Amino acid sequence: MALLQVRNVTKAFGSLKALDNISFDVAPGEIFGIAGPNGSGKSTLFNVITSIPFGPDRGQVVFDGIEIQRKSGNDIARLGLARTFQRETSFDKLTVFENAMIGAVYCGRRRTSSEQRESATDALNLVGIERKRFGQTADELSVYDRKCLMLATAVAMAPRMLLLDEPASGLTKPEIESSIGLIRRIAERGITVVLIEHVLTFLMSLSQHLLVLNQGQVLALGEPRSVIADPRVIEAYLGTRKAG
Amino acid sequence: MSMPATSIKTPGRIDWKHEAGVAAIAFAVLALLPLFITDSYGRHILIMAFIYAVVASNWDLSLGYGGVFNFGHLALFGIGVYAYGLATKLLGIDPWIALVLSGIVSTAAAVIVTVPILRLKGIYIILVTFGFAQLVMQLILSQSAYTGGTQGMVRIEGLYIASHNMVRDAKFAYFYIALGILLLSTLFLRSLVRSRTGASIVALRDNEEYAISRGISLVRQRMITLASSAFFTGIAGAFYAAYQRNASVDVFGMSLSTIILSMVLLGGTSTIYGAIVASFALTIFSEFMADFGAWRPIITALLIIAVMLVYPSGLAGIASSLFNAIKRRRA
Repeated sequence: MALLQVRNVTKAFGSLKALDNISFDVAPGEIFGIAGPNGSGKSTLFNVITSIPFGPDRGQVVFDGIEIQRKSGNDIARLGLARTFQRETSFDKLTVFENAMIGAVYCGRRRTSSEQRESATDALNLVGIERKRFGQTADELSVYDRKCLMLATAVAMAPRMLLLDEPASGLTKPEIESSIGLIRRIAERGITVVLIEHVLTFLMSLSQHLLVLNQGQVLALGEPRSVIADPRVIEAYLGTRKAG
Repeated sequence: MSMPATSIKTPGRIDWKHEAGVAAIAFAVLALLPLFITDSYGRHILIMAFIYAVVASNWDLSLGYGGVFNFGHLALFGIGVYAYGLATKLLGIDPWIALVLSGIVSTAAAVIVTVPILRLKGIYIILVTFGFAQLVMQLILSQSAYTGGTQGMVRIEGLYIASHNMVRDAKFAYFYIALGILLLSTLFLRSLVRSRTGASIVALRDNEEYAISRGISLVRQRMITLASSAFFTGIAGAFYAAYQRNASVDVFGMSLSTIILSMVLLGGTSTIYGAIVASFALTIFSEFMADFGAWRPIITALLIIAVMLVYPSGLAGIASSLFNAIKRRRA
């Protein structure tokens, strides 16, 4: 059974339909990619799945057999559905360790204090933040480290599914390569990953299934190689060649 | 070799034992003051500074740590004042029980005011909380049969300690009760802000959506923030009523709100200690300037502006700069 089922999800802002009847499934343990040009509705899709900051107008979102489209954002997170944001985000005035502890403490799992600390430490180790930096406040970190910290706070929650919103945006080529390795390590822990990215090569190297959105609608869905060979996807990304 | 995870306490934060040691010395110094300040007026100034310190440091919890622009904080103080007055005069409740009850009533009021501001931000929170303060004041004025209306309440019962004469001891007993309330309030606030709940309050302030995505409930944490900031504020109000033995709607006015807010900002937000130090500094400074008449508030205001211009993080910022300079010199 699919871990995440999205059925006929629609979200409109006035007359603009940001998401129009979107449906797809994500199987447990897979890396599921979502692509699309700017403004295609990728981040809005994450927003309505997690109800942060808003849920869908219509449609159904089922996570691990539970309907979540009317639940609050924090309740959804506590069910084991974590997300990151497109921009590097942190609790600036808390230390690196306190940032990770927020994920470890409020994840909705019963843990002892030492288990929470172990989980936070483990998550920071996984993303490669050295122990000597645990006491720094988050606003002292570089863009890449803040992205890693955001991932660590999510991993510290021990989620069943992690939604990653453009983890490669604003990063250098070596940092992108490190991110690919990091996402693989997260997936190896059994965490299902749904990944938004508009850099198709990034998605191709990671995803088992690929969904392409365009103007709020599903353009293509399936195995990555067949999806990027779809003429409609090529047209959405590259446009049509003018005759003559 | 890596350390086991359990050996990590709170990296980057001052050890609580260190902090408790410094705070204990500071409170011990305050406790010795009545030995040197023997006149009742000098002690009165210190008692007022303690009351202001409790109110300002609790406001720092909601405003500084929580980032909630709660402009109705002084209403919670006023509720404490009237709850004590009504409980002792009207219901005949024992003053000590009434003191604690007033803290509970203020806490309940804070929970009620949290409901309409749950989904609001910034200026809208200011409007609602300011409206709440006005509403409470109007309610008190409208119930003049019990509250005395614009005349206020007089001859409110004071506190007692066995058969000790609280009136003819040059405010000796009231000094220690006020200091005790400040000590308990500071212990409570510092324990809270150092706890995981405190970290979640700061997390919500720093980034609301991100905090929610990590499982923090906005409703629960905002309620905890405002309710926690209300209990000792209400007790301070009750103590004020017991000490002054009267209650007046002046406590809901902009004048007192402005003074306490100045203390929070001058001290430096999100420190608790900053607001306490600023309360002492402003109360005592204001007394030294008593001979300047109408110039007193003007000079005080100019001084606050000057400090805030040079050190926007207030007295806590000055202390932090000095501490870092000493550390660098030692290194």
